[in-house]
Amino acid sequence: MSIETDRGTEVPPSGATPQKVPASDWSLSWQGVRTVAQLELRQRVRSTRWKIALVVWFVAVGLITLLTSGAVTMIFDDPSMGADGAGRTMFGVVVFFVLFLGLLVAPALTAPAINGDRSAGTLATLQATLLTPAEIVVGKLLAAWLAALAFLAASVPFIVWAFAVGGLPFWSLVSVLLMLGIVLGIVCAIGLGFSTLTAKTSGSAVLTYLTVGGLSVLTLVLFGLSVPLVTTTEQVRTWDVPVDYDWEDTEPPECEWRIQTQEVFHSERTWWLLAANPFVIVADAQPLAGTEEFENAADPLTLIQYGVRYARTGPAAEQDWCGDMWFSNGGDLTADPPVEEQQPSQSLVWPWGLGIYVMLGAGGIVTAVRRLRIPVHRLPKGTRVA
Amino acid sequence: MTDDGGGIRTRGVRRAFGTVHAVVDVELEARPGRVTALVGPNGSGKTTLLLMLAGLLTPDAGEIRVAGLDPVTRGRAARARIGWMPDVFGTWESLTAREVLLTVAAAYRMTADDAARRAVELLDLVHLTELADAPAHVLSRGQKQRLGLARALVHDPDVLLLDEPASGLDPRSRVDLRLLVRRLAAAGKTILISSHVLTELDEMADDAVFLSQGRTVRSQSVDDAAAERRAWRIAALSPRLLADWLTTAGILAQVDTDGTALVELDGDEAAVALLRDAVAADVPVVSLSPAGGALEQAYLRLEEERR
Repeated sequence: MSIETDRGTEVPPSGATPQKVPASDWSLSWQGVRTVAQLELRQRVRSTRWKIALVVWFVAVGLITLLTSGAVTMIFDDPSMGADGAGRTMFGVVVFFVLFLGLLVAPALTAPAINGDRSAGTLATLQATLLTPAEIVVGKLLAAWLAALAFLAASVPFIVWAFAVGGLPFWSLVSVLLMLGIVLGIVCAIGLGFSTLTAKTSGSAVLTYLTVGGLSVLTLVLFGLSVPLVTTTEQVRTWDVPVDYDWEDTEPPECEWRIQTQEVFHSERTWWLLAANPFVIVADAQPLAGTEEFENAADPLTLIQYGVRYARTGPAAEQDWCGDMWFSNGGDLTADPPVEEQQPSQSLVWPWGLGIYVMLGAGGIVTAVRRLRIPVHRLPKGTRVA
Repeated sequence: MTDDGGGIRTRGVRRAFGTVHAVVDVELEARPGRVTALVGPNGSGKTTLLLMLAGLLTPDAGEIRVAGLDPVTRGRAARARIGWMPDVFGTWESLTAREVLLTVAAAYRMTADDAARRAVELLDLVHLTELADAPAHVLSRGQKQRLGLARALVHDPDVLLLDEPASGLDPRSRVDLRLLVRRLAAAGKTILISSHVLTELDEMADDAVFLSQGRTVRSQSVDDAAAERRAWRIAALSPRLLADWLTTAGILAQVDTDGTALVELDGDEAAVALLRDAVAADVPVVSLSPAGGALEQAYLRLEEERR
C-alpha cells in the first residue's frame, strides 16, 4: 500500500511572492490594514447579533423621528411660530438622539476587539504573522469605525427627513453628520485602547462607557461645580432704576447708569470644560443660528450651542436692570435701553473639543499598539499569549 | 549575529510568570532536515518554550536562535521563516477554511493570486478540500487541527513549531501527519514537535529533548533511546514453560497474570540472543517485542531517576 500516492502528502512549494518584512512595529501597509479590517468585518457581517442591532437601531431612530415630527407639527401649528423653528427643532432632537445611541453602541464595537480575540486564542495567530501591531490596531479600528458608520447610515434617512422640514442651511446637515462620524470613530479608538488594558471584555467595556459617560456628564457637572471658583465680586455698570424712584408711582422710572458691586460668573474661563462634551462638539459644528431662529427653536442642539457660546463670551460689561422693571410695570418698550445686548461668541467651540478627542483617540491607538508588540515581556494579569 | 546554518538553538533559556518558573534552563538543538521531539509532562514548560521560539514571548535570560535569527531582536525576520501551530487552536469561527488560509497568507504579505493558489494546495494537503468553503465552526476538532497545520505552512517556513499537533486526530490523520512531517523534514525543514503522547513521536522523530520542570533533562536521538536498556515483552503458548525457563536461565523477569513476561534488555542484540536461547530451550515463544515505545520508556525511566 502506498499512502503517499493515495493521498498525496507532497508538500507544494509556496507561491513565489517575496516576503517584505516590515521595518518597525509602527509600519503600516494598506495590505496589512485591509487584511485585518476585512477579517473583522467578515466576522461581524456574519453574526446575526449585528444584524438585529442594526434593525433595532433603525426602528428606534425611526420611532423617535416620527414622535418628534408629531410633536413639532402640534407645537408649530400656531402660525405665529416660524416654520424655521419646526425644522430646526426636529433636526436637533433627532441628531441628539442619534448621538446618544451612537455613544452607547460605539464602545461595544471595540471594547472587546482585542481582549476578546485574546481569550478566543485568535490574537496570537495574527501577531505571529508579519502583521505589525499598528496594522492590527488600525485594521480593527477601521472595521469598527465602518460598523459605527453603518449605524449612522441607518439613521441618515431620518436625519435627512428632519432636515427636509426646512429652515436649516445645508451646511448644518453636512457638518453635523461629519462630526457624528468623527466622534463615533474616536470613541471606537478609546475602546480599542481599553481593550488591550484589561483581560476581560466586560472590564474594557465598563472603562469605555465610564469614559464616554464622564465626557458627556462629568464635563457638565465640573462646569457647574467650578462656578464658585471663577465667580468674583466686581464693580459692574448697570442701567438701573433711580434710587429715589417711588415704586407706587404710575409713571415709568427714568433709568440711569449706576456702578454696583456684584458677583460675576466668569464662564469664559471654564467654557472649555464643556468643549469636551460630545454633545457640545456635535451641536457646535453647525453654523450658529441667528438670535431670532434661536428664539423660535426648542431643540437641544441649538440650545446647547447657544449655551456654550454664551459661556465662552463670559459676563457682560454692562447690565440692564431697568428693562425688566419696565416689563412688570407695563412701561414703554419702544424706548430702547442704552445697554449693549450680550452676543454669543462667534468663536468656534468644537475645534477645541475635537482637539481633546483627537488626543484621547490617539492615546487609545498608541496604548493598543504598545500592548500588542511582541515578544511580550510582561503579561497582563489573567491573560496568556495563546 | 551570525547565521549558524538554521535550525533551532537555545542556551540557558529561562522564563518565569510571576512566581511560577515555567522554563528554568533549557538547552535545545533542532537541526534542519530532522524532526525533533519535545517531550515532557504537562506543565514542564513545552508551550512556554515554543512561544519564546515563535517570537511571542521574551525569555528572562538565555539565548535563542531560530533559523539563525534571534526572535527577540529580529522578530519579524524570524517570524517570516517560522511556522507556528499553537496547542489551543483558536479559529475565526465564521470564516471558511479557505478564508482562514487566505487571511493568513495576506498577513504574510502574499499577493492575492499566490495566496489563492497556496490555499488550494494546502487544503488538498490536509484533505480539507471538500470542506474548503464550510465555516470553521462545523469542522471537527481533528479537522480544525489539520487546518491549523495548513495555516502554519502558508508561508512555506523553514522552521516548524508544532505544539501537540496530533491531539484530536483520528488514526488516519495521524498517519498522514507523520508522513507529512517526514516529508517536510526531507525537504530540509527544521521541525520541533511537542507532545506527551510518546508512541506517536517514536515513529516521527529523529531526536528527542526531554523537559521536566522547565529544564532540559536529556537530549538524545530516538535510535539511541531504542538501543538503551528497556523492557521487552515475551509471550509463549505455555506460560508455565516460559516461567520455568526464565527461572532456570536465571533471567530476572516479571510474569504478568496473562502469562506474558517483561524482561529488561540492552538493545536489539540482547533481544536476539534471548529469543535464540528461548527457542533453543524449546519454549513455545509467540512474540518478543519492546514494551511500549523507545521514547516512552526513556521518559518513564527518567521520571524514575528523578524520584
